[in-house]
Amino acid sequence: MSAETKSPRFDPTDPIFRWVSFGAATLLLVVLGGLIASLVYGGWPALSTFGLEFFLKFKDCPAGHGGHFCIDTPWNPVTDVYSATAPIVGTIVSSFLALLFALPIAIGVAVFLTQFCPRALAQPLSTAVELLAGIPSIVYGMWGLFVFAPWFAKTIQMPLMVAASQDPTSWGAKLVAGIPNGANLFTASIILAIMVLPYMASVFRELFRSIPAQVREAAFGVGATPFEVTTSVIIPYVKQGMIGVIMLGLGRALGETMAVTFIIGNSHRFPKSLFDSSSTIASTIANEFAEATSDLHTSALVALGLILFLITFTVLAIARWLLSTQRY
Amino acid sequence: MTTDTTSPDFKSVIVPPPEGSLVLEIRKLNFFYGQHQALFGVDLPVKKNAITALIGPSGCGKSTLLRTINRIYDLYPGQRAEGEILFEGENLIGPKVDVAALRARIGMVFQKPTPFPMSIYDNVAFGVRLHSSKSKAELDELVESSLRKAALWDEVKDKLHKSGLGLSGGQQQRLCVARGIAVNPEILLLDEPASALDPISTAKLEDTLEELKSDYTIVIVTHNLQQAARLSNYTGFMFLGKMVEFGPTEELFVKPKVDKTGDYIGGRFG
Repeated sequence: MSAETKSPRFDPTDPIFRWVSFGAATLLLVVLGGLIASLVYGGWPALSTFGLEFFLKFKDCPAGHGGHFCIDTPWNPVTDVYSATAPIVGTIVSSFLALLFALPIAIGVAVFLTQFCPRALAQPLSTAVELLAGIPSIVYGMWGLFVFAPWFAKTIQMPLMVAASQDPTSWGAKLVAGIPNGANLFTASIILAIMVLPYMASVFRELFRSIPAQVREAAFGVGATPFEVTTSVIIPYVKQGMIGVIMLGLGRALGETMAVTFIIGNSHRFPKSLFDSSSTIASTIANEFAEATSDLHTSALVALGLILFLITFTVLAIARWLLSTQRY
Repeated sequence: MTTDTTSPDFKSVIVPPPEGSLVLEIRKLNFFYGQHQALFGVDLPVKKNAITALIGPSGCGKSTLLRTINRIYDLYPGQRAEGEILFEGENLIGPKVDVAALRARIGMVFQKPTPFPMSIYDNVAFGVRLHSSKSKAELDELVESSLRKAALWDEVKDKLHKSGLGLSGGQQQRLCVARGIAVNPEILLLDEPASALDPISTAKLEDTLEELKSDYTIVIVTHNLQQAARLSNYTGFMFLGKMVEFGPTEELFVKPKVDKTGDYIGGRFG
């Protein structure tokens, strides 16, 4: 370098560049902070009016009830009394059911794609999985309401209810009780499962691919069958990553709005059976925001949003942490 | 390097072990990675309870040859073999062979250590549990004897239930040897088992193999000519997908019958 060359330290664009990139990063934090602040501010009237009862409200048990306590789940714009328990429970239960349905299938898809799939089929199948992930949720919701729910009501729910009517007090009958229109917790969970399935399947596939070929060969090399290799070596090898992916899938299911709103039935109470209508936080907000006239109603919806934000934030934080501790 | 890449005039010179001492015999084996042919009419006699070494420059097909013996290539669509691999009178190349059972009888240890994500004990017991139902006591005994044979017992006996992934590279490789011999295979295939190890671990591994020789038949692929000369009873020298020369290790190293073999051993190419 010659003596005349200006040292890059004195380049005037350098600090500008640094400050611009710093500003971009800061902006993100400011937006996040502002979002939280406005959710707290907007939800505060409801949170301060109802206090802890917004999350859990007890009531006197009706006569003849054997339990020790009863939970009230009011959501009443007329009397302006709101409690978030029912939508919180609906959100969590529908998301867990969705994961329960999606997980084995996602693992199956990923195992097939990485282990057994003939090369000619692997690419089309992978593309199909990715396309499935790209379908807008409103399309899933519409399909769920107009196609899946009626089909489900007619071919599954009705026959089950007819069979259950033989013994209306049985455990099974209680599980399938509900209005046979197909818009319920169960069908909403299935639609949710279909929505998180492609995402989970494709990330599982990447995880399985990350396993060194030699480890797989070694497992086959001691005479293990494909099933034994998958369950004893491959899945344990990426277990932590898989849990992380499951949590990410859960995060998606928790916040999913349109498809669920279409098909969950939207009733503000605890679902009494698998086939009972319910509601989630997201579906409640989507349904009522335009019609919320009283300030307290609007505030209660914002507070619901804050709760959803906190739930998904926690789930995603756990997922990130688990993925970062993955050793491979 | 000479230019006989395309020359068809390789004549394999094979000095087989004595009649009746073979456990496995490969005859006229061709191997294909899709369209690409990697082995050309390879012959390999494998003597029972002896160490057979396969040497040759990178890409000569020695690992490919090894991988045909337990049909691990089956995992990859598009890879296929033609010819004969005779093991107890049965041709291993055929659709009727039960590959899982075969691989329990012909074990394999790889270039890099491949411990499974489980405890040291479970690593060794993994294959055994697949193929037989043993009592806890029998299993304990087998795990200990396998680890002893692999010269690892003293180093791990106090942490059998810790993860196998926490061991050093050399220990992991001996763990893989223990895992391989725990299922009591008739043949143990080793694909450059020492290439990722330091000299001390390599020496320990070689001692292990030396001791295993009396009970097992070992086929080892190695880049290390001294290792082949030290360890093996028979050596095959491969070049460009063909078996150039096969014979007793001493003869092959001291008085090679093919010029090419002499050139490679003498370090004139490779």
